[in-house]
Parts: sequence; C-alpha cells; structure tokens
Amino acid sequence: MFRSRSWFGGGWGRPKNPHSLERLKYLHNILCRNTTVSESNRGILVESLRCIAEILIWGDQNDSSVFDFFLEKNMLSYFLRIMRQKCGGSSYVCVQLLQTLNILFENIRNETSLYYLLSNNHVNSIIVHKFDISDEEVMAYYISFLKTLSFKLNNHTIHFFYNEHTKDFPLYTEAIKFFNHPESMVRIAVRTLTLNVYKVQDASMLRFIRDRTAAPYFSNLVWFIGKHILELDACVRNDADHQSQQKLADLVAEHLDHLHYINDILCLNIPDLNDVLTEHLLHKLLIPLYIYSLTSDTMKRPVYNREHLQSIEVITRNLEAILTGKSTDTPPRINYPIQRIESEEEIKPSVSCVVALFLLSQVFLIITHGPIVHALAWIILQSNLSVFEEGATKILDMYDRNAKSNVKLEFSKPQLSLEKALENTSCPERDYTTPEYAEAKSFGEDLDNTDHSSCDLDPELVSNSLPSTSQISETSSIAHDSTEDLVTQIQTIKRNPAIPKANMPDSPLPDSVEPSKTVTEMNITDEEKQKLLNVMPGTSGDVTEDIQRTTGNIENRPFLKTVVDSLDCTENDYKALFALCLLYALINNKGVNPELLDILLRPEADLSKASTSSGSPDEGERKEKKDSFNGLLIAELMAIANLCCKPASKVRLVTCELTVRLLRTAMQFSEGSVTSRQTANVLRARAAALARNFYKCDDIFLDMFEDEYCEMSKKPLNVECLCMDAAILLPPTRTPMSGIAFEKRLPSGEMERARRAIRTFFLIRELYLKLTGRPESQLPLANPAPFVQVGDVLDLNDSDLISCDIIQRDGTWQHRFLAVDNMQVILVEPDKQRLGWGVAKLVGSLQDLEIQGDKEDPRCLHLIIHKPRVGANGALPRTILLRAKFKFDDHIRSMAAKQRLTKGRTKARQKKMQQIGRLLEVSGVAALPTPSSHRHRPLFARPALAAVRRHSGIDGDDTERRIRRTSGHVLKDGIVVYRERTTTSRESSVSRGSNGSRDSSPRARSEEIPLEDIRRSAGSATPVVRNPIPTTSHPKVTNASSEETSFISNDPRKRKGIVETI
Amino acid sequence: MLLFSGVGKSCLLLQFTDKRFQPVHDLTIGVEFGARMITIDGKQIKLQIWDTAGQEAFRSITRSYYRGAAGALLVYDITRRDTFNHLTTWLEDARQHSNSNMVIMLIGNKSDLESRREVKKEEGEAFAREHGLVFMETSAKTAANVEEAFINTAKEIYEKIQEGVFDINNEANGIKIGPQHGGAGSGGGAPGAGGAPPGGCC
Repeated sequence: MFRSRSWFGGGWGRPKNPHSLERLKYLHNILCRNTTVSESNRGILVESLRCIAEILIWGDQNDSSVFDFFLEKNMLSYFLRIMRQKCGGSSYVCVQLLQTLNILFENIRNETSLYYLLSNNHVNSIIVHKFDISDEEVMAYYISFLKTLSFKLNNHTIHFFYNEHTKDFPLYTEAIKFFNHPESMVRIAVRTLTLNVYKVQDASMLRFIRDRTAAPYFSNLVWFIGKHILELDACVRNDADHQSQQKLADLVAEHLDHLHYINDILCLNIPDLNDVLTEHLLHKLLIPLYIYSLTSDTMKRPVYNREHLQSIEVITRNLEAILTGKSTDTPPRINYPIQRIESEEEIKPSVSCVVALFLLSQVFLIITHGPIVHALAWIILQSNLSVFEEGATKILDMYDRNAKSNVKLEFSKPQLSLEKALENTSCPERDYTTPEYAEAKSFGEDLDNTDHSSCDLDPELVSNSLPSTSQISETSSIAHDSTEDLVTQIQTIKRNPAIPKANMPDSPLPDSVEPSKTVTEMNITDEEKQKLLNVMPGTSGDVTEDIQRTTGNIENRPFLKTVVDSLDCTENDYKALFALCLLYALINNKGVNPELLDILLRPEADLSKASTSSGSPDEGERKEKKDSFNGLLIAELMAIANLCCKPASKVRLVTCELTVRLLRTAMQFSEGSVTSRQTANVLRARAAALARNFYKCDDIFLDMFEDEYCEMSKKPLNVECLCMDAAILLPPTRTPMSGIAFEKRLPSGEMERARRAIRTFFLIRELYLKLTGRPESQLPLANPAPFVQVGDVLDLNDSDLISCDIIQRDGTWQHRFLAVDNMQVILVEPDKQRLGWGVAKLVGSLQDLEIQGDKEDPRCLHLIIHKPRVGANGALPRTILLRAKFKFDDHIRSMAAKQRLTKGRTKARQKKMQQIGRLLEVSGVAALPTPSSHRHRPLFARPALAAVRRHSGIDGDDTERRIRRTSGHVLKDGIVVYRERTTTSRESSVSRGSNGSRDSSPRARSEEIPLEDIRRSAGSATPVVRNPIPTTSHPKVTNASSEETSFISNDPRKRKGIVETI
Repeated sequence: MLLFSGVGKSCLLLQFTDKRFQPVHDLTIGVEFGARMITIDGKQIKLQIWDTAGQEAFRSITRSYYRGAAGALLVYDITRRDTFNHLTTWLEDARQHSNSNMVIMLIGNKSDLESRREVKKEEGEAFAREHGLVFMETSAKTAANVEEAFINTAKEIYEKIQEGVFDINNEANGIKIGPQHGGAGSGGGAPGAGGAPPGGCC
C-alpha cells in the first residue's frame, strides 16, 4: 500500500526516465491542461516544450513509438494554439517554441518522421504566424527556424511548403520580406534560404518564384544595392581625408556580398530566374547607374545630359534586341510595372567615375554569367556615338521635373512595395498584372510617361519596339556600315586637335588624342619616342595618322573613351588604377566573348588580314575593318610604365604592377617583335636608372633589395583582393599612418622611395624579359659557391677552425668548431670515425650574420645566424637559425673569429652588391664577373685531398638505373664537402662529364672513375661518409652562374688529382 | 567548415546556450542558433551564436558570415585527422573575409573519446600558436570546457572592445550596444553587446 502510494504519487508527478514514451504522455497531459498561457503556467509550459524536443529527438534515434504518439495526438496543433495567444511574456514562450521546432527539424534523421511532421500544414501556419519580430530574440529564432527548414528542402519535401494549387509558398515569401533587415545575420539567413529554395529546381515551384516573386524581389534587391552604392559614393566624395575608412570598407564589403549573392544565384543555372535577374540588373542597376556614371564626370551637365539620357535609352533598347530571344519568351506574368522605377533610376544622381570604374571592376571580377558580363562589355567597348542620335525625348523632361527630388526617399518606396507584392502573392486569385498592383509599385504622378521607358519588360512593348531596336543595334554595331557613321568618324578626326580639351574640362588628356604629345610629355629623346611609337602594330608608314584614326574612333565610344582617358597618370594614378582593374577584369572574365576582346587585344593587322597593310589610310578600306584599340591601349600603358620610372612619379606600385601585367596581355600578339623588344629595353634602362639612384654600398640597400624581391615574389598582385580593398577608393595618399599598404600608396621618405625604385625595377625587368622572351637568370641573387648542407661530411684537415662553446639562452651549450666559407658560416662537430673530418651541424648565411662582442667577457661573441638564401629560398624572408653566445678559448681567438666573420660577411655582401651593380648597370661594375681574382684565393696550400666514394645502395638500386655517387666540392679554407647524389641515368651523366671544362662540375667528373674503384672504395668509405640527408632530396647545384663555372674550371686538374689519391 | 558532420559543433552550441539540456550518452542534439546572457566584468553581455553549417556551397554566404561576426570558434574533431587537416583552408578563408580583429578560437572537440584520438593535443596547441589562436579541447558529451571556450572567446572580444579595437557604433562588426541594463552596481553604458561569433566550424 505504502509502496503503491509512492508509485502513485510519482506517477502524477513525472516518470523517472526523462527519455521515454511515458514522459511524453505526461507532457502531453500538461499541454492539454494548460491550453491558455498565463503568468502562472508559463514556466511549466516552457519546460514541457523544451522536454518535448529532447524526447522527440531521443525517440527519433531510439524509439519510434515516441514519434507515433506525437503525431497521433497532433501535438503541433498545441504549439500553434499556444503561439497564437497574445499574453504577457508571450515572447518567452514563443522563443521556447521556436527553439523546440528548430531542434526538432534540425536533428530529425528519420525521413518518414520528417514527412509526418510536415504533412498537416501546421508548419506553414507557424511560418505565416505574425511573431513579434521587434523582439530581437524572437526574430533571430524565427529566421533560424526558416533557415533550418530550407535546409530540409528537396524534390519531395518542397511540396509540403509550396502548394501548387493555391500558388502559395509561405516559407519563401515570408523570408524574403526580411531581405533588407537591419541585422546582418538575418539578411544572411534570408539569402541562404533563397539559395536553398532555388537549388531544389522543382519546375512548378520555380515557375511560381519567377512569375509571382522574382520581379518584385529582384527589383527590390537591385534597389537596395543601388542605395548602397549611392551611400558608398557619398562616403568617397566626402572623405578625402581618410576619416571613415571603416565605414567605407563595410560598404564595399556589402557590395561584394551582394555581387557574390547574385553570382551564386546565377551559378545555379536556372534559366528563367537568370533571365529575370539579368534584366533587372542590367536595366535598373548596371547600365543606368554604373555604366552611365562613367561619362557623367567628363561631360558636364546639362549640355550633355540629354544625349546621355538618350544614350541609355537606346543602349537599353539595343540590349533588349540582344536579349530578344529571351524577352519575347517570357510570359506576361513577369512584367511588373517596373518602368516607374526605371525612370527614377535614370534621373537620380549618378556616382563618380572613380566609384563606377571600381564597382564595374568588381562586377567583372565576380560575375561570370555570360548575358550580363557580355552585354556590359559590349556596351563599354562597342557602343558608339550613333546611339545618341536615336531614342525618345521625353526622358529629358522627366529628368527636369524630378531632378530636385530626394533620392533616398524615392529609394525607400520599393521596400514597401515588396511587402505589398508578397501580400498579394499569398492571395492566389490575384492577377498580378492588374492596376491595383501597378499602383502599389508606382512612383509619383507622372504615370503617363511610363510607356516611354523602354526598359519595361512588357513583351507587348518589347515586340512593338523590336523593329526599331534591331535597326538601332545595326547602326551601332561593330561593322559601321552606315555612311553616316563614317562621316562622323572622319569629321571627328578632322576636328580632333580642337575638340578634346573643350569638352572635357575635368581631364585634360592630350595623350589620348595625339600620342606624339604623350611622348613629348614623357620627356624622352626623339629616338626613344620613335621606339615607343613603333610598338603600335600594323603600321609601316605613318604612325601618327593611324593613331589619330583610332583616336577618332574612340571619340565615338563614350564609355571606352572614359576608360582609356582614365589611364592618364600625369597628375596622379587615382582613376587609372580603377581603369586598369576594369580592363583586367574585363579581359579575364570568362563570360565575355573572346571575340569582343579582340578590339583591345589584337593589333589591327591581325584583325583585318584581308586589308592592306600599306601606310596610306584609305578610309574606304579602313571602314571594312574592325577597329582595333590595341595600339592605343598599349601606348597608354606604356605611358604609365614610363611614368613609373620617373623619380618623382605619382604612380603607385600597385598601378605599376597591374600595368605591367596588362601590357603583357595586350602585347601577347606582338610579343617578340623587334619594336616591342626595343621598347622593353628602353623601359628597362629607365627603371634601372631609377633604381641606380639609390645604389649605395651600404648594408641597407642590399637587404632592401633582397627583401623587396622576396616580398614581390611572395605575394604577386591579386586583383580580386585589390578590388576588395576600400582603401584604394580614397585619393592616393603618402603617409604610412593611413594604414594603407605600401604598394597602395605613394612612398614617404627616402627609404620608401628606394623601395619603390627597386620594386619598379623588378616589375619592369619582368616585363622586359617577357617581351624579349628571355628567362630570368639573375634573380633572385644567386649565391655563387656550392653549398654545404647540414649533415655533410667535410674534410677539415688543415682548415682554419676555431673551437668554441655555443651557449644558448636557455642555458644549454654545445661544443662546435667554427668554419667560414665564401658565403656561409658553418658549425661542425668532429666526425668520430675519422680524424680531421667533421659533420656540418649548422649552416648559416654569412651575409646576414649579426656579430656583436660581449661587453663583459672578451672571449665571447654574440651571433645571430640566419638561414642561407639558396635557390628558391632566396625569395623567402630571412629566418633565424641560431641566436646564441659563442665562447672561445681566449680573447685572441675570439677576436680572430670576429675578424674572420666580419670580413667574410663584408665580402659576401660585396659579391651580392656586384651582382646588383651588374643588374642595374652601375658604371664601374664590370659587365662580366671576374670573381676568381679575389674569391678563390685559398688561404692555405691545399693539402692532399681525399675524395671518397661509396656505393651505399644495395644492388636493387642498380636495377632501377639509379646510381648514387658522391662528389667533392672544394670550398674556401680547405673544406671539402662530400655528398651523395642521384641521377636517373648514368649515361647522361657520363656524357656530361666528357664535355669541356665548363661542364666539368665535380659530380660529372667523378663519373670517370671506373666502377670497380667505386665498389672497392665503397666498403672502406661507408663508415666514414655518413650522409643523413636522403640523396634524392638533395638539391642540384642551383647556381650554374658564370661565376661558378669559372671557379670550378680553375682547378679541374687539382680535382682530378684528388680522385687519383684514393 | 561545414563539411564534417561528425564534429558536433551544433552540440557544443546547444550545450552552451541551453544548460537545461543535460548531456546524455545516448542522445545527440544540436542547434544552429542560440543566444545566452553572460556576465563579464560585472557587465551583462548577450551572446548570439550562429552556426554556419551547410552553407559552404554558397560563397556569398560564408563570406557574409565571416564579416558579420566578432568572434568565431574553429572546431575540429580530435578523433578525425581530416577535420584537423582542413583547418588551414578554413582559416585562410576566415582571415581573408573577416574583420582582422575577429577573435578566433580553436576547439578540439570530443575530448572524451581519448581512445579514438587521432590528433594530439600538442598538435592543436602548435597550430593555434602558429596562427595566433586560442586553443582548447572540449567535449560536448561531458560538457567539459564548453563553458570556458565560449566565455573565453567572449572575454577576448570584450577586451578588444575595451581597447577600442572594435568600433561598437558600427554594427557591421557584429557588436551592438543594447539598452542599459539595470544590473546591480554596473556602471552606465554597460554594453549589452550581442557579440555574434558564428560557430564557425569545420
């Protein structure tokens, strides 16, 4: 009795096992008894909801009856009922509910359970429930609930969320309402959700998305982006002093986020969706805001704006013609009355040219969707003046009327209309093309003007305008068929000298008009000028005339002209950097049709092979060719490169590097030609002269030279990263205190000017080598002597060795012998097996050695030893190998060591400085090295040296045709290194060995030993010569420089003698 | 980050944000979002933690996540070497896209499964030292160190806020000043900051 009562009491309380069906039944009971939420039962409800999640997941993983019970009792309906109650502190319960749901959907593994959970539409009811989203926590839980659900979407589950009959998809439509939520995490969740939805690729669902939601969602998205752009532009305009870098960085990052998001959608390759998105992007953002802004700086309003507005109009029409096939296919549903937005877009203030170039670069770097990038590229490269002559006129009137209106206010409208649009969407019967809907999206009172905005997607309109559109596109097409066009061209050429400055007060760019002027400005001799000009391809005769003609053509292409004009760096390279970025991005974009790029990349001669190459520019013939701006582009780039080589240049390193890279691309078809070689040579000489100004025989120059090389090869320019950096959007600065990387600002002080000069030299040299087709043989600065490796066994008989104790900071000490080679400091340990021999324990760079005496103990020296710079390591930063106190036997030995080390260091550095001197053509440095005179001067008469060979491998090695050999290297101070080497073929080595003295490197020479000798000596040598380094990993002699050759060839006889002593 | 389902980061997250879920050996539950109030220096701080799981397919999403967060937990599974090997890629990505001030903590999870350990504790420590991360081994199963991992990260963020590294007026950092809390004795302007370290997990 007592026992049963106890059980009874426990039963009414709670079952002991928290994970059991009984427990769930008990919780169900609680829910049943507490249908209304009140202050008093809130706590128990929350705890029950939490426990339900726990039990259900436990059940999903362990006991299916738990889930059956949950479904049987339809417990989700209880959730709904609780949720719908408005009572004090409901957010507390709601948060718990949402968490329970999150846990439920996230952790369920059993597919059937999932289907059951979704089947009775409760989930959709929960989705559309109006939560109190002003509560931050509710919002966060709600949006993660939606996001979690989106991860469960697939071809089966989609039908639980999207109702084909009622045309209802609350998960999607509710979520996209928050696409512009102030909380970034919410926005990210929305984007994730949309991508997850599109990914499902259910035809019917996608049709719904496209017909009912795509236009409002994408148009709002595009608006949102546009708003950001204007904010960004304002930030750039108002911040010449780099005060709000952080804000600018955020805005740039936000734009990148948007572009990546758009790209992610486009990459899902859903044709219908991509078409809508493409149209919205092009018509409402990229063309009117980005491209249009390209010309807004150079041509002053209001004189030109009429033309410009028309040009946008016509270009958009042309585009529609290009995209025609798709436009006509699109069903009527898609055509929201967006023309209103269109006209607003067109009249709103544009962004500055710099920002436009920067943003367009980002577009071309990120988006690869063909229809978008190709259309953009076409507009930039091909659209010409003739587009200005066509088009409607009413837009101008509209511009005048609305010019003063506040843009921000205008921008806020579509956000509301998205809400409305989506509300409408949820009512299935609503026809979305009805006037009410149009009203929701309308702006202002000038509704009657709508039909003149050609960007409307109404197919009726499109088809109406089609005939004219195709005409326009013909006239503006690449071919230039119309005589009118030709006339314009000729006229422009004739007017040329007068025109340019008049209509572009902002950017006086004489060079783009008349290259000869450019050249004179560069302040170079006539001879060099001729060389520069000769780079222009396809001309044997009158160069200037040809360029003038190209220039004439570029006058006809407003956008391309802006880009090319922006390349002018005479004042600074602010704009030029972005123009370069844009060109680079455009040329490297995979979505752009390569043929389109030919006008930039192909010399004229290539483009029109049929045409005559005679110098006389017969206009009739010319007309049939495609225009090539390759020559013009190269001339502009060369002008930048030339400016880079001036001492007080205003060109930043990053601009220089990008110019060099673009030049390589632009000259790919004229590479190796005599003229390009000459030009490259002139440039290289200039760069060398620039760097020569700083050539001094001090420690810093050498270190700087090597460090800069290392920096440059370590991180080559990444244009994508460059365009992520908001700092470049602000006018170029000089001070390092701006926090801007050295490459992206002007040098400050003598040191940085030296660095800049060195770096410029490297870049121009790279270009020079590329254009002349030569391999790089002198950089990184080679270390002439063959290197001792750690573990090498050295014959130290009669070498200058100084015994010392190395005391490290942690107190550990070792006894070593210090030996000094030409380029290295070597610490050896006596070889226990053989007297007079030693094993190299540490090999450091002599050049970078830091030596310091000890103030208290004259017997001691403090040394910092760095890793030697060998081969590829030459381009790596210095790494410290050892920092320790060296204690010698007495102060004399300490002094001797110091002297030897200091002297060795100086000599090693002198050698490097000579190499640099040769590179920079410093007068007084011999063109060819004569190193043997001072380098190879043995301090002691060489004793009988022993070369030991062994055949350490087993016979299997022979079957692999790999043989191991040792070779001796004679170093300074009588040190001989023995090292095993591997070659793949004995024959090749032998043949090399039989060559003249130049090739008689030690390893080849050793091949001449009869095999028997090797075998014989192998036995005796094995215990002595130990080489812990795997033979195959041993680097080959990297520095096959002439120095080394001369060094080796100096004593082949002696080496032979060595071998014979065995 | 999100390639490795066995890492159990969402379990870590639930462990931290909801104490009521006791770790039980036969039950694994995780969440992708959680929020919790903690107190540092007598100041109430609300942490919002977002799991970035499953979004690796979309570049735009991962990018955005990195930027919107003040801190991140980089989680690998000590019983799976591959999760450890992927850390470098993850970290490169994070560093490229995130605010350079973002606090990153390296977590070796499943420290309870000592017998199946594939990655030594020393390796984790070395990796953390090399890349300037804070390191800790945790177990979502036994709740060992879970609390410490999150709170230490929050503390570092808090310190950075105090040093003025993070601009608290800029919400893009993932930090937001909340309404003042009438917390006992806490001075004015206590940042009820919602530092939002995503459970950036591998």
